[in-house]
Amino acid sequence: MKRVIRIRSLEYIYPEGTKALRGINLDVFQGESIGLIGPNGAGKSTLLLHLNGILKARSGLVEVLGMKAEEKNFVEIRQRVSLVFQEPDDQLFMPTVFDDVAFGPVNAGYTQEKVGEKVRKALKDVGVEGYEKRCPHHLSFGEKKRIALATVLSMEPEILILDEPSSNLDPGGRRHLIKLLKSFSLTKIISGHDLELILEICPRVILLDDGQIVTNGEARNVLSNKSLVESHGLEVPLSLKLSDLSHP
Amino acid sequence: MHLPEIDKFANLESPLHSWDPRVRIVSICMLILSIVLLQDLKIAFFGLGLAIMLVFLSKIPFSFVFIHLRWVLLFSLALFGVLSLTVPGNSLVVLPFLSISWEGVRLGLLIGLRAVSAALLIFPMIGTAKFDLTLKALQKMKIPNKLIQLLMFTYRYIFLFLDEERKIVMAANSRGWVRKTNIFSLKTTGNIVGMLLVRSFERAERIRNAMLSRGYNGRLKTLDEFALNRKDFVKAFLIMTAAWLLYFAEWIR
Repeated sequence: MKRVIRIRSLEYIYPEGTKALRGINLDVFQGESIGLIGPNGAGKSTLLLHLNGILKARSGLVEVLGMKAEEKNFVEIRQRVSLVFQEPDDQLFMPTVFDDVAFGPVNAGYTQEKVGEKVRKALKDVGVEGYEKRCPHHLSFGEKKRIALATVLSMEPEILILDEPSSNLDPGGRRHLIKLLKSFSLTKIISGHDLELILEICPRVILLDDGQIVTNGEARNVLSNKSLVESHGLEVPLSLKLSDLSHP
Repeated sequence: MHLPEIDKFANLESPLHSWDPRVRIVSICMLILSIVLLQDLKIAFFGLGLAIMLVFLSKIPFSFVFIHLRWVLLFSLALFGVLSLTVPGNSLVVLPFLSISWEGVRLGLLIGLRAVSAALLIFPMIGTAKFDLTLKALQKMKIPNKLIQLLMFTYRYIFLFLDEERKIVMAANSRGWVRKTNIFSLKTTGNIVGMLLVRSFERAERIRNAMLSRGYNGRLKTLDEFALNRKDFVKAFLIMTAAWLLYFAEWIR
């Protein structure tokens, strides 16, 4: 399998002195769906921000799609690796849905027709066709979440990174999101505390705490390890608890 | 909650709505310029009539216009009062300790007429297209990109900012805080404003990250959505002629 992300001895310290990442080593392969879990402040978001060059490694190596994550490669990396942020209002900054979904393709220099085509396809993929002229501030939270996803799908990325994708979604919206994410065959990295969602989508999980990778393995094995997950501020997902009860 | 939506009636159909935003902005700006330079009271009244006529043609309800115009009217009224009483000249009315001069009334009226006319013309100029379209028109008119971005983000996030302010005030109210004219109230208001600024700063950083991750390089790029036709030029000709007539009438006076 082709390796798409290679991270070696990655360290990151925030300007105020917080050591957020300590010697991260990680390989991600094409088409994989990986769950990034850990308590608050574990360094999940910091790690994700390194993957499309928003944060630059203080030391260590980050290689994405064969390119070193450094200034000269950022334009291409950002076209091929897309990040969906936790809060959709941070992601939707243009006055209309169309402009927002078109933002990435326009920056990539596509023609007007091609941009329109990509926007329509992305909106269709997330199930909000016909929203082109709507203003983001008139949308419900669930709609904003879907459109935030469309803003990166329109760029047709090879790697999709999602930070807490299900936070604040109602059960219906969450179910729709799971279905949607499962239908994408591209490489996915999903960070968050919704372990049920991660269990359903990601065969592999990485447990991060205090800026270090604690464990990296098969999702079911890691998430069912009660002492491991609880010692890092998490809980065994209910579905695994129930399956333990039914198969003692 | 009342939101400051100037483009609330952008979906109506009128000769102004169908006008290309770029030509409309330039033409009405010219008209505003010619009105604010007027010195003659009669011509200023004519200018006000023209502004009212354009608002009428735009089909934007006068009730909506009046809500947004009330501060301009209030300010003009206050200025009218002050000027009437303070500008020296021929007395129109003499009261004990006070005299109202004709020159003061004339000047107050002239400033008021010009201000109200200019403010009225903002509605057919900006209120007849969605704000994003107006911004794109400004961009096509080579208005500096940084200014466009500033306007765009202000428009996009003003709603969020107001919503955040409402939530913080609600949180304070739910713990028994009531706005009064005392030191504690002032201190709390200061804290709320400070908290809003901190949150806005943090949000700005997150938005910047989201923009960078989608290829933003400091310049805002948008798609071309405009096409000029003959009607746009006819409308521009009519408005420009009106602007020149006002200027000409002032000149031959």
